[in-house]
Amino acid sequence: MTDRQPALSLRLLIHLLLLRPLLRLVFGVNVVGRENLKGLDRFILAANHNSHLDTLLLFSVLPIRQILRTHPLAARDYFSKQRWLFAAVDYLFRPIWIDRVRKEGDPIEETLEKIDRGSNIIIFPEGTRGEPGQIQEFRTGIGRVVERRRDLPVVPVFLLGPERSLPKRARFPLPLWNYVIVGLPQLLKGETRDVTRSLQKSIENLALSESAQRHRRRPAKKQCFTIGVLGIDGSGKSTLSRRLALELSHSTGVGLISDSLELFEDLSPKELQPLLVEKARQWIGAQAKQARSLVRYKIPKLTELLLRDRMLDETLRWYRPDIIVMDGCPLLNMTGWATLYREQHFNEDFCAKAVRILSSGAEGLHTDDPVLRNFPELRYLKRLKLDRLHIPDAIIFVDVDPKVAIRRIESRGGRRQVHETEEKLDKLRAAYLMVCRVIERDHEVPVCRIDAERSIDVVASEALSFIELARAESRGH
Amino acid sequence: MPGGTPQFCLLVVFGVLSIVLLAGVLRPSRLSPPSYFRYLWVFFLFFNASEWISFTLAVWILALFSFQALREYFSLVDIRLQDRWGILAAYLSIPFMIYLIQIDWYGLFIISIPVYAFLIVPFLVVLGGKEVEGKVLSIGVIDFGLFLFVYCMGHIGYLSFFSTWMAVFLILAVALCDLADHALRHRAGNGWKSALFKFLAAAPATVAVSLLLSRWSTIPSLHATILGLLTPLLVLVGNFTITAIETDLGIARARLQPGRGQIIHGVKSYLFAAPVVFHYIRYFLR
Repeated sequence: MTDRQPALSLRLLIHLLLLRPLLRLVFGVNVVGRENLKGLDRFILAANHNSHLDTLLLFSVLPIRQILRTHPLAARDYFSKQRWLFAAVDYLFRPIWIDRVRKEGDPIEETLEKIDRGSNIIIFPEGTRGEPGQIQEFRTGIGRVVERRRDLPVVPVFLLGPERSLPKRARFPLPLWNYVIVGLPQLLKGETRDVTRSLQKSIENLALSESAQRHRRRPAKKQCFTIGVLGIDGSGKSTLSRRLALELSHSTGVGLISDSLELFEDLSPKELQPLLVEKARQWIGAQAKQARSLVRYKIPKLTELLLRDRMLDETLRWYRPDIIVMDGCPLLNMTGWATLYREQHFNEDFCAKAVRILSSGAEGLHTDDPVLRNFPELRYLKRLKLDRLHIPDAIIFVDVDPKVAIRRIESRGGRRQVHETEEKLDKLRAAYLMVCRVIERDHEVPVCRIDAERSIDVVASEALSFIELARAESRGH
Repeated sequence: MPGGTPQFCLLVVFGVLSIVLLAGVLRPSRLSPPSYFRYLWVFFLFFNASEWISFTLAVWILALFSFQALREYFSLVDIRLQDRWGILAAYLSIPFMIYLIQIDWYGLFIISIPVYAFLIVPFLVVLGGKEVEGKVLSIGVIDFGLFLFVYCMGHIGYLSFFSTWMAVFLILAVALCDLADHALRHRAGNGWKSALFKFLAAAPATVAVSLLLSRWSTIPSLHATILGLLTPLLVLVGNFTITAIETDLGIARARLQPGRGQIIHGVKSYLFAAPVVFHYIRYFLR
């Protein structure tokens, strides 16, 4: 049984006399490998999907007698938002509608039925329009269709250009050339997953062959790798971070943001210009250390942390080191410190939300979320737009028993800060551990917990090997 | 419309070019005309339209051609989502400028792109997105294409408004330079020596064409000789410059594809010569 189509119809005329010439005149279409489609009677076209132009482009490549026999798969829930659009698409392309919301019917059964009636299918195995210029993981639908109709050749097609002329989120199309690269028809073997994967591979190969010719803007500026060294007072994190910065500097430029800003290159410190932010931070830091109560401590400490984060930007701007080692990490310090003020509300949910609010402005968070109610500071910071703190690329948690920490602080002499008691440090340590867990889980930042009651050499070498691993991994992405 | 000898000459040249191109399309193995023949054909289509039908139609043919060149340029450079408004403005400045040629408003034509498009493109690019990085690059990229493929091309249109035969002289002279360049591409070495060879090869031909056409183009012999010597020089400078730009755009001269440098490669020689010849004529002869 086959679908009988009239040889000449209005639909065909619209395709040939209106859509094709218009597409060529306005956008420009170049087809590479048209001959691959010529001898085929039935086929499945599989292409990457970036734009609404994709279907139009594929139709403009088809041999004339195939136009009326070819049906794309399209999402009903997307196109039915506007009635005239739905009607136009339905008339011009006769798609097989898939409803991704209501999930009525079985699109695979429907597709197979169409194929058996002699139709050709256009499929975008990515399922939806992806980010411009990137091929997403293919869905297995195409594999399931191919698995049940082995004799049907699949033609991989790579579309280059629609992601620029009409990308997702663009308000209007721009006239820019489009390339349709038709690959060799294939009879795919293997199971669903193998079929899908080999198809994705062949489309990616087509992409490699052609898109390499396009001009590219200069490569993105080099990324700086930031390491936050976290720990309670007296854990030796300042000593460790200084040591790390010095040792890392044997191959690259390293910035250290500690009590003062330092730069290292070739295992030795470098001359610095005075930065205004740095001076302000040091003064405020000194004020915080003199505070006699937690309430008085709060505002100077908060300011100090914010300025410390600001220092990261300044260092990047003026010195551009490859690695920055931070003594402490403002985002995590700030979150962890909340435990000393409102312990009853401090939990994992708070940590996750606070990190999100402080690092990315909490898009999508409800305005009367309990976290914002319990911690009005977050709301103020958000309102003051101080909510873009950096998330470090790796975190080293220097872990030490509060008793040992207190002993170290005592041996250091001088006045003790207001929070430097065993009970408070214990709370703080638990809080930091929780924040580390959250950030490792939610933001995929590698965290390394190091027992710091051993000698500094052991601790430093352990930390260095962790940093090496984390850097290698971040480069791999 | 008048049907004198000059008009028929144009028609004959157009006919010959059409036949050569058609033969190239039908029998690609037998005859493959050089790629710039196609653009010569476009220019003669423009001249014939201007002489036989109407100048209005002719300038809009040129507008379409300019659009094609600009589109190819934008297809080759790297653009970002936030530059789209600026690029749209660049496209829209083509009809704006062409309309000014059509109604012969020289004062606004000559500042249309250097002043208005020049100011509105950066505004729209900045409006397009908060990301500041790379804005200068985007604006520069858009403006450069606008000046080269719209503004320079527009001068050919305005020149033919003065007199079609002045424009015919320009196109023929540049085509002859291209021919000399093509013929000498393997013979001469690099550097100033090859440039000198090319100039010496092209200059007699361009001067001859210029003098031959001087009756119809109404350019006096002295100026015709100077223009005949000036054009090959401009083409050399233009070719030298745009060849480097072509390489940066990733245009492989060995295998030109539609949308990948075919038009840019074909019109590059005209772009530098057109404005200078236009202003020379306007200053001394109008």
